[in-house]
Amino acid sequence: MRTIRDTGLLFHRYTLQMLRNPVWLFVGFSTPILYLALFTPLLRHFAGVPGFPKGGVVDVFLPGILSLLAFASGSSMGFSTIFELQAGVIERFRVTPASRFAILIGPILSGLMMMMVFNSVVVAVGYGLGFHVHWLGLLVLAVLLCLLAGLTAAFSVATALVTKDISSFAAIINGLNLPLLLLAGVLLPISLGPLWMRVIAHFNPLYYLVQASRALAAGSFANAAVWQAFAVLVPLCGLVLWWATRVFRSAVA
Amino acid sequence: MTTLQSHMDTVISTTELRKSFRSNGGPIEAVRGVSIEVGRGEIFGFLGPNGAGKTTTLRMLTTLLPIDGGSATVAGIDVARNPKQVRARIGYVSQLGGADDLATGRENLVLQGRLYGGDLASVTARAQMLMEILDIAEFADRRVKTYSGGQRRRLDVALGIVHEPEVLFLDEPSTGLDPQNRANLWDHVRMLRERGTTVFLTTHYLEEADALCDRLMIIDHGEIVIEGTPHDLKRDVAGDAVLLSLHDSEVMSRARALLEGQPYVREVSIEGDQLRLYVEEGSTALPQIMRILDGARIGLRSVSLSEPTLDDVFLRETGRSLRDAGANGKGVAR
Repeated sequence: MRTIRDTGLLFHRYTLQMLRNPVWLFVGFSTPILYLALFTPLLRHFAGVPGFPKGGVVDVFLPGILSLLAFASGSSMGFSTIFELQAGVIERFRVTPASRFAILIGPILSGLMMMMVFNSVVVAVGYGLGFHVHWLGLLVLAVLLCLLAGLTAAFSVATALVTKDISSFAAIINGLNLPLLLLAGVLLPISLGPLWMRVIAHFNPLYYLVQASRALAAGSFANAAVWQAFAVLVPLCGLVLWWATRVFRSAVA
Repeated sequence: MTTLQSHMDTVISTTELRKSFRSNGGPIEAVRGVSIEVGRGEIFGFLGPNGAGKTTTLRMLTTLLPIDGGSATVAGIDVARNPKQVRARIGYVSQLGGADDLATGRENLVLQGRLYGGDLASVTARAQMLMEILDIAEFADRRVKTYSGGQRRRLDVALGIVHEPEVLFLDEPSTGLDPQNRANLWDHVRMLRERGTTVFLTTHYLEEADALCDRLMIIDHGEIVIEGTPHDLKRDVAGDAVLLSLHDSEVMSRARALLEGQPYVREVSIEGDQLRLYVEEGSTALPQIMRILDGARIGLRSVSLSEPTLDDVFLRETGRSLRDAGANGKGVAR
């Protein structure tokens, strides 16, 4: 009970902080729109290329963008943790009897909600560009997006708490982001790549989300990629949340 | 064993508290066996230069850092065993404060009160009362970003006492405040004591320790140097200080040799071109010093007698001046 109440309070706080930050809001909304507006035109001639999944260009590309935004919103979460750490906010909360799990998960849930808002904008704009909306598929995809964003957010926040300063945190997160994104086939499907790339991709959790997102957007629930994504992301999310809570409980100097 | 009586009166008690940190050059012992007793309703100060172990001790007492060795009880509860219960009974204002810039003062206070378990109605009323007491009611609905340093610090204090804690921990409360705001904050802290709150604060400002604290401890290199009331410390340890300006170093060493042996002179040190003597009682020692110097035909450029300060205490106990020891860019107040 206590944990749920505290989570609600901290969710509300974090949401207000974000909504009162106009720069953050502007970047949040413009990034997905820029991807759609400036990247899709380059893909016009890809449809029908060997290795390119079936379907229209937007149908293949847009689920990748949704996955990318989920991943980016999660992995950037730690930047505000660093800021709050340095401003003494985290310490102020840690000295109250509030649930440690709530201090971790409140902001993460707020981040998930806003990620869903931005992704809805992407779907709406994509619809205008010819994206075929499959509602049930998108609903299941939303669950997967939240799992991935939740686990990357927990990882990012815990890494921020461990590193404590912006430069080492940014080095770690940026160092991880690039290979993870390139080896997931976010922008262009990994099926276009050589065998070694396709093999390595199987060690990347984001790859499973991207594969499942394309299947679900097309409404093919039976596709193996869907259950594989759940099988990878559910336990991984649990594991990372457990670790992050542990980090929160122990010393944060 | 503590008796029931002393247990009731002691709000903070530590025995041989220890903490060390890993570093590249091997472990650093930040706190080395600190034992403290703080009574109910006291303003207790922890005075020392930056890096002396003040904040580390405070962070252990407030459950923010695990305790390596020794034990600590706050409000009768063991800190290591029941951190959650300790948290409910203490307030803590860090050096940083940590209020949300983008929220209003009132929003900050209401959230803080609710995180301590209060319901919305009572927390809202309490927030209003605190803002009036701390003179920030006028800015209650402005975002904290617009607050001045003094207003922000008073909000930090309000955040620390929103749940009516038995003990309030203040880490360097007046750092960054101008003298006027500092004095104003001191008044507010004294008012908290009047209302029965025990206040434990750290400071590297001599004036703050002297003006505000009922009792204090001087800490250096993680160890307690001395403790007592500011008055007793100054009287017992330092005596009065007599400063003699002499013409040259040759005369200075002659004067030093003569005066060092006098029974009423506790200590002689050379500071620049001045000779500093600590004496039991300045008013009786001064005529005798003048007589001796006159007899040896040693002329003086100037002589002054000063009441002891806590810096004299620190200097005597550690061999360093707190102003020098603490001057690492953080700006030690005069």
